This record gives sequence, C-alpha cells and structure tokens, in this order.
Amino acid sequence: MTTPAIETQDLHKKYVTLRRKEIPALNGVSLSVERGTVFGLLGPNGAGKTTLVKILLGLAAPTNGTARLLDSHPGDTRARRRIGYLPEQMRLPDYIKAPAFLRYMGRLNGVPSATLKKRIPQLLDQVGLGGVRKPAKAYSKGMLQRLGLAQALLNDPELLILDEPTDGLDPLGRKQVRDMLLSLRAAGKTIFLNSHMLSEVEQVCDRVVILHQGLVARAATPEEFTRGTGEYIVRVAAVNDAVRAAAAAVANAGTWQDATLRFAPRDRAQLNALVDKLRAVPVEIEAIEPVKNSLEQFFLKVVTGEDA
Amino acid sequence: MLAAYIFALRDSFNRRMALVLTGLSVVLAIVFIWIVKVKFLRGPVVFLGPRMFWAADRGVPSVLTIVMEFTSGVLWILLAILAAAPVLSSTLEKGWVELTLSKGTSRWQILLGSYFAGVTMYFTAVVVAITPIAFYLWWQTKVSSWPLSVSILLQTLSFAALLAIAAFATLPRLGAVLPILFAMAVYIVSAILAQRERMLYQFLTSRWSHVILDGLYRILPKTSELSGTAARYIQGEGITSWWPLWSTGIFIVGTLSLTAWLLHRKSL
Repeated sequence: MTTPAIETQDLHKKYVTLRRKEIPALNGVSLSVERGTVFGLLGPNGAGKTTLVKILLGLAAPTNGTARLLDSHPGDTRARRRIGYLPEQMRLPDYIKAPAFLRYMGRLNGVPSATLKKRIPQLLDQVGLGGVRKPAKAYSKGMLQRLGLAQALLNDPELLILDEPTDGLDPLGRKQVRDMLLSLRAAGKTIFLNSHMLSEVEQVCDRVVILHQGLVARAATPEEFTRGTGEYIVRVAAVNDAVRAAAAAVANAGTWQDATLRFAPRDRAQLNALVDKLRAVPVEIEAIEPVKNSLEQFFLKVVTGEDA
Repeated sequence: MLAAYIFALRDSFNRRMALVLTGLSVVLAIVFIWIVKVKFLRGPVVFLGPRMFWAADRGVPSVLTIVMEFTSGVLWILLAILAAAPVLSSTLEKGWVELTLSKGTSRWQILLGSYFAGVTMYFTAVVVAITPIAFYLWWQTKVSSWPLSVSILLQTLSFAALLAIAAFATLPRLGAVLPILFAMAVYIVSAILAQRERMLYQFLTSRWSHVILDGLYRILPKTSELSGTAARYIQGEGITSWWPLWSTGIFIVGTLSLTAWLLHRKSL
C-alpha cells in the first residue's frame, strides 16, 4: 500500500510578534494528498494557505502537529530534491538570464550538469521561453511565472507544489498550464495546487480542501462541491398567461423570470409532466438545465458561514 | 555549497559596488606602477619613490607596506563591505529565499556559499590592486615579494571576520543596511579597543569598565592587529604574536556557526 504524498496531522502554527502577541495561522490542519492526484487548496486571504505550504517545504516550523512529505520530514534535503515548488512571488536578480537561473536551481537540487544541459532548453521551449535572451529585469509577470514553472519542473519532481501557477498568465498561457498539469498527473506526478482561480481548480483538481481561519472547513471532490441543487431551469420561447397557467398546474412552487421558470421537481416524472403541459399549450421549449452550484458559490458559502 | 558559492560569486561581481571596487583595484594598480620609479643606489637595491606623494627613498618592502595599508584602510574596507553585504542579505530576500531554501541544499551551505563569495571578492580586489606593483618591483629589483602573499591572507582573514558579523546581521531580513552598519561598527570598535589602554583608560578609570573593555577586546576580531601583523610581515619581521590570528579565527567560526544555527531554526 502506498503512503500519501503529503500527510499532516493536527498542524498548528502561531506567529509571535515583537510584543509577544500570538497570532494563530493554523489551528489544527489535518489533510492527506494521495499520490498521482491533483490536490487543490482554497481559502480566503489569511486562511493559512501560505503558512501551510511553508511548513510543507520546511521553510517554517509548526508550533504543534506533524507533517510528512514523500515519507520524509519536511526539512529533509533528500526529500526536497524530489519536490518542485513554484512560489507565489519570485524575485530574481535583475541581471540573470533564464538558463543561468535554471542551472543554479538545478544544481541546488543536485541535478547533474549533463542532465541540466539537456533539460534546460527543453523546459524553456515547453514554457514558451525558448528564444528569450533578455535578463530577468526585462521579464513580464507572465514570463516570470513561466520561468518559475520551468524551475519547478527541472528536477523531474514526484511532487509539485504550485502557488498560484497561472497568476499573471493570459488565457492561452493559463490553458497551457492546465494542460501541463493534466499531463503531469497522467505521468503519475502528485500536484498540490494553491490557487485563487476557482474555475481552474474545478477543472484540474481531483480533490479540494477549503481552508478557513486556519482550519479545514471542507474537503471533497470538485463534483461533490458542485453537484446539482435539485432545481431545474426551463426556458421557453415566449411566455403568456396560458404558459404560466400550464406551468402552475404542475410546478406550483416554481418562479418565473422573463421566459425562464426555475423550479424543484419532486422527481423526474414531475419534470416530464411539466414539459408535456408546456408543449400542449403550445410553446417552444428552448432549454432545460439542472441548476448546479459553482465552486465559487460553494466557496463563498463556506467562507461567509452560510454553509454552516 | 559549491553551486551556492559560484552563484553568489557571479552575483557579487554583477553588482555595481563590486564593479566599483574591482575598477578601483585596477586603477590603484595602474597608479602605483605609474608613480614609483626604481633606481639603484649604493650596492643593494634601493627603491626611490613614490615621487609624487611620498618623495623619499624607500626599500621594496616599505613600498609594498604602503600599498598593503591602503587596502586595509577604512575606505577600502567600507567599499568591500558595501559590495559584499548585499550579496549576503539578498540570499534571504523575500521571493528569492523561498526558491533557494526549498531546494535540496541545506541552509548553512547556501549561507556559507554567499559568505565565501564575499570573502573571495575582497581577496580578488586586493590581489588585483597589489599584485601588479609587487610583480613590477620584483621584476625591476629582484627583491622577493612573496611575504606579500601571507600579508594578503592576513588581511583577508580580517575582512572575513567583518563579513561574518555582516552575515549574522542579515538574519532579521532587514536588507543590507544593518549588516553594513554592524560590520563597520565592529571594525571601528575593534580598532579603538586595540588602543584601549592609551585611548580609553585615562577616561574610564573604574575597574569594571576595564574588565568589560578587556572582555570585549578578547571576543571581537583583531582587525587592526592583523593589519599591523600583515605590514610587519612584509618588512620581514614574521608573525610575532599568533593571538590575533587564532582569536579572530575562533570569532569567525563561532559567529558563522551561530548564524547557521539560527538560520536553520528560522521560520521564513
């Protein structure tokens, strides 16, 4: 049986200010990330996401609790050589050029020079920086982000921890990153994604955790988060009193807005009965759609407490 | 550590202040060669000059001592600290530290890589400034300049102690100003403490103040004594007291060990 790629148990972290005031960042986070999956971490600002990532990477020590990455302690340098990390903000020396930067990052991860020689041009092509010769100070935010992705992939990591990987990218770049993440998952890599782009998380993640006030508020698959509400929307070509009366005979609790009826049928038979009644009026039915929660709606409910 | 060292070395030589220091070294080397004139008087070789600033007959060791003292002076040390401290502080800069310290290399190795790059930069600047004139004098007079190499090492040891203090002062992650101030403060204070009996004890007469100043003197690096030893070594005196060397060495090892330990424990 394989162990999870990431496992935390009751992780606490308190920051202490100069005036000895304690600021809790994590209040007992327990989560598990299975190998070969894409895991999404969501949460409002100040939820503790960055602190959690820092603890996982050994950049910060927990006040209490344990964390394991690839069966090792987060500070273990050998384990870190099997991890790729893209921080939210990268600040590079102004003069540095992409190949030199990647060479240094690779050497810090113990990647042999011969491998780097082959891999750096490949990765630069892959992230769309193949022909770029200018120094980092002339890079746009999107270019920096692409370079960050390249350095995260340099050591062919088993586990990728990505903090806002599509931040600053144009729609095409975002799609390229999404495709890249999916192909990495297909190759058996584990991806830990910290992102504010909820639609992106919805599209690529196998499992999502919403962190709120330093605690895991919800953990589920995107499908579970966005599953149907049981309501349907029926849109007709034109609405008149006859149409309203036909609908009222079946869907008493439904509400009309222009030519759209929103109602919650008891079962599928009641939905079909409504369609029959409307067709008998006669009126043309343009669409029938189940009403779904978006991840964004669910997220907002969780963080505003509506979902309690 | 080698990767961190090579990168930091490259980083340091890409900074404006390092270029100023290196440029100044080259200018200094050219100026020294230009202003000295060699003349043979009364049998053994005697060096005449420098004709512009110190118009006097001097032996080769005496001229080398002047050059050496120039590179251990306040201005040179300040320039070197201004050039090297940002290399250390940038190691812990937000946005960069997350990249480097999350990799498979220990924090202490990255710290030491940057530290030794700073020391190398100073060493290179001194070598560039002094070696041409030393070579020129040897070529003209055949008087050996080899003692100069030991003097350069002693001078580098002195700078290494100041840079160790700068490394320690980077830990609060407040940029390069604090490391520069700390290093320069230690440089000045250690020079004053070396002369404490002559300069301070006439004002501070209490026994306790003497105990404190003596203790402080023992702990801090002996930068002015090392400069003096370096100068005397060129003159052929050899190393008469090893105390400044080993106490400064212990200071460097102690400060770097403490810095590495604190960095290892630091939450970023």
